[in-house]
Amino acid sequence: MDEKIKEEAAKDNYRQEPKVGVYVCHCGGNISDIIDVKAVAAALAKYPGVTVAREYAFMCSSNGQDLITEDIKNLGINRTVVAACSPSLHELTFRNVLQRAGVNPYLHEHINIREQASWVHKADHDGATAKAIKLAQAGVEKVKRKDPLNAIRVAAEPRVAVIGGGVAGMRAALSAAGKGLEAVIIEKAPRLGGKLLDLGKMYPSGEEGPAIAGKLEALVRAEKKITVHTGADIDFVGGFVGNFRVNFKNADGTSSQVKAGAIIMATGYQHYKPAQGEFGYGEDANVVTLPEFISLMKNSPAGRLEYSGKEIKSLALLHCVGSRQVEGVHKPQADGKINDYCSRVCCSSALYAANQVKDRYPGVRIYDVYRDIRTYGMQHETYYDKASKDGVLFLRHNETDQPVVTSDRTGHTVKVKDVLTWGEELEVKADLIVLVTGMMPADISLIKSQMKMPTGADRFLQEVHLKLRPVELANSGIFIAGTAQYPMDVPEAMAAAGTAAAKACILLAEPDIPLEPFVAVVDEHKCTGCGLCPAECSYDGALMMAVHNGKKVAVVNPALCKGCGACVAVCPVRAIDVAGWTLDQFDAMVEAIAKE
Amino acid sequence: MKELEKIEVDTLVVGSGIAGLQAALDLADQGYSVAIVEKAPSIGGKMISLSKVFPTLDCASCITTPRMASVSHHPRIKTLTYSTVDAIKREGRTFTAAVTRKPRYIDEKECISCKRCEEVCPVYLPDEYEQGMGAKKTISIPFTNAIPQLPVMHPEHCIRCGACARACPKDCIEFLQEPAPVEIKAKAVILATGYETTPMTAKKHYGVGELPNVISPMAAERLLAPHGPYGRVLRPSDGKVPGSIAYVQCAGSRDKSIGVPYCSRVCCMYAIKQAVLLSGSLPVADITIYYMDIRAFGKGYEQFYNNARAMGINFVKAKVARVTEDAEHNPIVRIERQEGTSAPEEVKHDLVILSQGLVPGCDVSKFGLGAGLNDFGFVQLSDETVSSAVTAGAGVFAAGVVKGPRDIPDSVVDAGSAAMEAASYIRKL
Repeated sequence: MDEKIKEEAAKDNYRQEPKVGVYVCHCGGNISDIIDVKAVAAALAKYPGVTVAREYAFMCSSNGQDLITEDIKNLGINRTVVAACSPSLHELTFRNVLQRAGVNPYLHEHINIREQASWVHKADHDGATAKAIKLAQAGVEKVKRKDPLNAIRVAAEPRVAVIGGGVAGMRAALSAAGKGLEAVIIEKAPRLGGKLLDLGKMYPSGEEGPAIAGKLEALVRAEKKITVHTGADIDFVGGFVGNFRVNFKNADGTSSQVKAGAIIMATGYQHYKPAQGEFGYGEDANVVTLPEFISLMKNSPAGRLEYSGKEIKSLALLHCVGSRQVEGVHKPQADGKINDYCSRVCCSSALYAANQVKDRYPGVRIYDVYRDIRTYGMQHETYYDKASKDGVLFLRHNETDQPVVTSDRTGHTVKVKDVLTWGEELEVKADLIVLVTGMMPADISLIKSQMKMPTGADRFLQEVHLKLRPVELANSGIFIAGTAQYPMDVPEAMAAAGTAAAKACILLAEPDIPLEPFVAVVDEHKCTGCGLCPAECSYDGALMMAVHNGKKVAVVNPALCKGCGACVAVCPVRAIDVAGWTLDQFDAMVEAIAKE
Repeated sequence: MKELEKIEVDTLVVGSGIAGLQAALDLADQGYSVAIVEKAPSIGGKMISLSKVFPTLDCASCITTPRMASVSHHPRIKTLTYSTVDAIKREGRTFTAAVTRKPRYIDEKECISCKRCEEVCPVYLPDEYEQGMGAKKTISIPFTNAIPQLPVMHPEHCIRCGACARACPKDCIEFLQEPAPVEIKAKAVILATGYETTPMTAKKHYGVGELPNVISPMAAERLLAPHGPYGRVLRPSDGKVPGSIAYVQCAGSRDKSIGVPYCSRVCCMYAIKQAVLLSGSLPVADITIYYMDIRAFGKGYEQFYNNARAMGINFVKAKVARVTEDAEHNPIVRIERQEGTSAPEEVKHDLVILSQGLVPGCDVSKFGLGAGLNDFGFVQLSDETVSSAVTAGAGVFAAGVVKGPRDIPDSVVDAGSAAMEAASYIRKL
């Protein structure tokens, strides 16, 4: 937005008499199927301080936004209440509308009548409507008491720290550097390449893992704007958007620090490690995981598939080991949770490996024991096709009828209740059992806990919104690239990493970054210097006691404060408020809701 | 022909579906100027016409319209709708695109979107936005959330009654309007031309086009959409509320007989999603999905599939041989179960949805940009293990389904990386 408009917005209608516009969204039926939106608008139109109240199918659409800008222009509306979806979805959309129209963007209140009314009171249309009216009225009371706020601007380090030097990390660094942003890769292993360094031939290109990593590494080494630290053991990640710090120990024992305006988490995955005894893993000699099998294949002589010196004439691939687990069927992992997600890449890589076996050792019999074959990618279906043509025998079981592996001196027997032969219990003999293991996120518990990064039930880093903000963490300035977010193959990791770099470049496009102004503000006249509040503050350095004008008072660092309000709650004299969320505003909202 | 309009930008984005919009925003937010050319009268692509989207079940409009608004308000983005890219030439470091603005038969600058022309027009047409299930006027704004809010007239259906011209308060109906040429100069091109669904005619024995109650998934999206043609789920032949609904998976994917051997990636999930939405609006309906493999591979998808099963949606592993109908137009699905018994069965439903796959939306080879295509007409990347957007044509990048089927989350992510490649390329020019 133009600087000029920003300035105008900052001056704007400060202390002008509030003229509130209320906009009730149908959310295309999500709200209006339950709530009588016309009744809500009519009730609000009569409410004190409200100049105009309207309803519309999609307030967030261009037409809806235009309704607001027109009212600002024609009716002199200087504060808005939008009663619609969750503020996490569209509060920002409407703040931008105000800003475009020359009104301070923080003179807006977003009231959630979808999650908090229509969705939760589906059976009570009148009740939901009444509740929506109350919530909107409370919003009016709040917005009438709002002051214009300005984004806090902090100077940003013009640099992105990429944690993890696998293919996603390298791609992210390359993309950022390509745009001219300095990038620093911090990798714990002695060399770049990550998990690919241990893998053999991979789909889709048929190159070996190290070769793929090597191509990216060559580009990284040639890029002047990228600095690489390998053998770096991170012991501290701290700071905030624009000013992060990453401390690590180098291989030689010395310590280093990287200062960065943004962080890209490219911390990758680990192969699922089967539990002791899971399908005989760790107990019976010839039970291996797919990654182990891929290396084994690489090291086998031509004409003879070999494991521990013995020829392998038959093998069984068992899919979904450590993925798509079912409560009550599978044993939980160490943290008590099951892996109920699909690991996405394993079907294609298993069949790709099976095809290599058939190409190099056509005599080897292969049994593929699966639930669904998920060869979804452009060329992946050809792997499935080829495997079927080359005689790989597919046995399909239900999730509740897990295959059973038993072993004796002559080899292994896999017992499968095969639904493709009408639920027949089949027994196949195999010299080698290959467990098609899925992906789990790499262990990054230290960084995660230091930065309070959100993870999903699947333990992978959790994006803000899969479609709106797919590579952003809730922590402002931290982005995700690749398998730290979810299982993906190399081309998919390239896309994710490129986008993570794009978001970092957008964030750091200007020398300073605007931050939300919702931070604690201390009224020095009221503050008694009692010191209760710093003890409640969970953000290092955000709130401290200091002597100011000869008086001991609480002092806030707005760049570090998250506006959580813990300090507000303990202040015995109401000397602290969170800007945009003051106690007076809350009092007025409660009164509006409680009024008969 | 009108005088040549000239536009000069950093990047030309062809297509304004979710991938094109996101790529344009990710470039413009970094300071680059962008021109988007869209052949439809509104930006928003396929996504804007969808109901709700998996796996989060957000309404598609709630995700798309704000992006459409951001693009249309962005000071560095210029959008040309109802315009075709006829040719793109590369000379030195500059691409020159020959674009034609198709006539809307209105003065676009004067129109105030009051819809009076639409109100008075006496001629109704089947509405393609509603997949032919609703009607629209011969002069009309394409749909509620369209950007821009400009009506389009279809002269082949207009009876020249002049009602619109008399009703227009701004006198902007132009019956004699002609196509207008535009020249766009750009340093880089992003192809985001998206997809079409596999042609229904490709599977004759599924009764496409002949059985009224065998419909496309796009039609099902409109039936489920908040502002759909009927406002609720009714079947086309007789307006009956369907009590039994079936999905035929891989109807147009994983099928060599129609030249689409690949998996279209999205059909399992959209079918499950529609089934979930249908069971919400028709709580007593029986819903069956006939499938080969359920491919719920994305983040949160397996859990979505499990929830659908827990809701009572019936998943039957069976290949559908053909679809016929009885005297009441009830579709009869002939299946061979791959579980339980193998004897062929015929199952009667009230409504059948064919889960069509995705094929390229545009033959981008016609632009002659040097971006290679694979066997199926999708753009082939130079090396997908190094970059997800770089094609064989210098300065030409690809975003979204133009490279092969992918779902919305994957397309959004993909677009950002295409923007990044274009930005790097421009910087190094």
